[in-house]
Amino acid sequence: MSDFLLHPQHAREPLQASFSDEANPIGLDGVEFIEYSTSRPQALGQVLEMMGFHPVARHRSREVLLYRQGALNIVVNAHPVEGGAVPAVQDIVPSISAIALRVRDARAAYAYVLERGGWEVPTHPEAMELNIPAIHGVGGSRIYFIDRYREFSIFDVDFVPIPSVDPHPPAIAGLHFFGVVQYIGMDRTYDWVEFYQELFGTALIPDELRFGIMPAGKLLRAPALDPGNGFMLQLIEPQLDAIDASERLQRIGLGVPDVLAAVRALRALGMEFVESEGAHTEQRGAITKTYLGGVVFELVHSERT
Amino acid sequence: MTDERSILQAIQGFGMDTITLAGPLEAKLDAMKDAGFRQVMLKANDLVGHPQGWRAAAASVRASGLRGTGFQVLRDFEGLSGHLHQYKVDIAKTMLEMCATLDCDVLLACSSTSTHATQDLDQIARDLRKLAMLAIPHGIRIAYEGLSWGRTVNEFTTAWDVVCRADCPNLGLGIDSFHILASKTPLDALDELDPARIFLVQLSDFMWQEARTFEERMATARTFRVFPGEGVHTAELVELVKRVDALGYAGDYSFEVFNDDYVQMPLPMVSQRARRSALWLAEDVLRRSVPLPNQLRLRSAASSAA
Repeated sequence: MSDFLLHPQHAREPLQASFSDEANPIGLDGVEFIEYSTSRPQALGQVLEMMGFHPVARHRSREVLLYRQGALNIVVNAHPVEGGAVPAVQDIVPSISAIALRVRDARAAYAYVLERGGWEVPTHPEAMELNIPAIHGVGGSRIYFIDRYREFSIFDVDFVPIPSVDPHPPAIAGLHFFGVVQYIGMDRTYDWVEFYQELFGTALIPDELRFGIMPAGKLLRAPALDPGNGFMLQLIEPQLDAIDASERLQRIGLGVPDVLAAVRALRALGMEFVESEGAHTEQRGAITKTYLGGVVFELVHSERT
Repeated sequence: MTDERSILQAIQGFGMDTITLAGPLEAKLDAMKDAGFRQVMLKANDLVGHPQGWRAAAASVRASGLRGTGFQVLRDFEGLSGHLHQYKVDIAKTMLEMCATLDCDVLLACSSTSTHATQDLDQIARDLRKLAMLAIPHGIRIAYEGLSWGRTVNEFTTAWDVVCRADCPNLGLGIDSFHILASKTPLDALDELDPARIFLVQLSDFMWQEARTFEERMATARTFRVFPGEGVHTAELVELVKRVDALGYAGDYSFEVFNDDYVQMPLPMVSQRARRSALWLAEDVLRRSVPLPNQLRLRSAASSAA
């Protein structure tokens, strides 16, 4: 969406058609980072390191660490919630609390989604920190919009590098971002399909087309300026007799060209994978055990590196 | 059928509305529970006016064990522009947050009466779609109701047109029998609705044959509605309930009875009238306690064959 359309008073030239195409209304270009919230950052850090991530930087003003491998950024947020009382159960179990989307123009993207019913979240930047716009996502999580990811990154501003570590550690076995799995409530598939379609221009993928070894639910593909940066959203409703029908971002999926080689490499780091009748490692994909009561990674065969 | 358990079972699809009763919220909830109801339609005033504040009120609702049928009422949301629209978006967000805190999954929004609002159905639909989007992260459905004195949308047929134009899965209709009876909308049009998109049915009757002008409808709707079976449109009301049921509507029925007499009566007197009305609808109209064929089997044919 062009700024001109949203702020016609700023237009010097006649109104131009939106420069993003209809299929990618906010100029999505992949995921900049995934944020976990936890009151046990070191325990989560250990799990991330078994998954091949390295801590590379810490936030200037908060208890927040950046873990990285290749193009994957994971932010571990242990900053106490305002009010600062005893953490609730959901804080003890680490949860995916935010997903940061790369967009062409964050201000324009933000205006676009608010216009259509995105729900703004107040942000609290400190002095000299970036004010990153965000909207409410599923189950109390946030969706950030970031447009500084090319020449320099938000991490150059808000984070201080940890001395003597490689700021850009290579990815294990070609790991790259593949998608996010979202657990949703009963009968809520079409609500969420509509939400992501309306705000981000995602497209529903035919039910015959599935990736990896966990094919449940509906699959949405997010558009991207660079086709290589597209990602998936998987929406899964609970079983009829499920005890926990809450909505949340449940796990992230990582793409890898050779699943078996990646599983070998990660096992060497201490990561364990589920090997059962229901799910087991094969060339299509693999899934790790659940750590700390709620942290799971899925591997999916994907040629992109 | 006189066993209390059978009666509770029969009327479980019906609920009262906090607006019908006088007094503090806890007393209203107790009176409904004592009359055998298991759900309650909540109005924002009843919560905000609680002496300990609305969060305490929400805690009382949860403690009562009554399920929230829905939360009301967002007025005059659609069709506005500029700062008026922004203002209404802020109101809507707060109502959605209250609705979510109450574990209600239906927010009732009624059609605009404002002369500042546009009469363009497409823009009305666009605004309602935005409202529905705002509600998705909270898991709330928007029931859009045509007030019989709404400026542009004053019949459920127009409301349904707008809902279809907006085309959002969590936006549907709220049906209120009063408005249909007052505006004399032909009931045949009910057959064109998708039962899955009727999110709430509110029932009430009134005591005059006709309410021709908007002013008459407004005055009657706000002061002199009665429970189903107590008014003069019983035949039409029965027809309405039967049609909605035949359509496949499986959701809740709530008694939207604004009545100046009832809010000065002792609560049990009013809640017992509501119970009588619910029982009549469940037993004599919908025949809820008559078992359907095959409903009493312990296993379905498929699983016993396996």
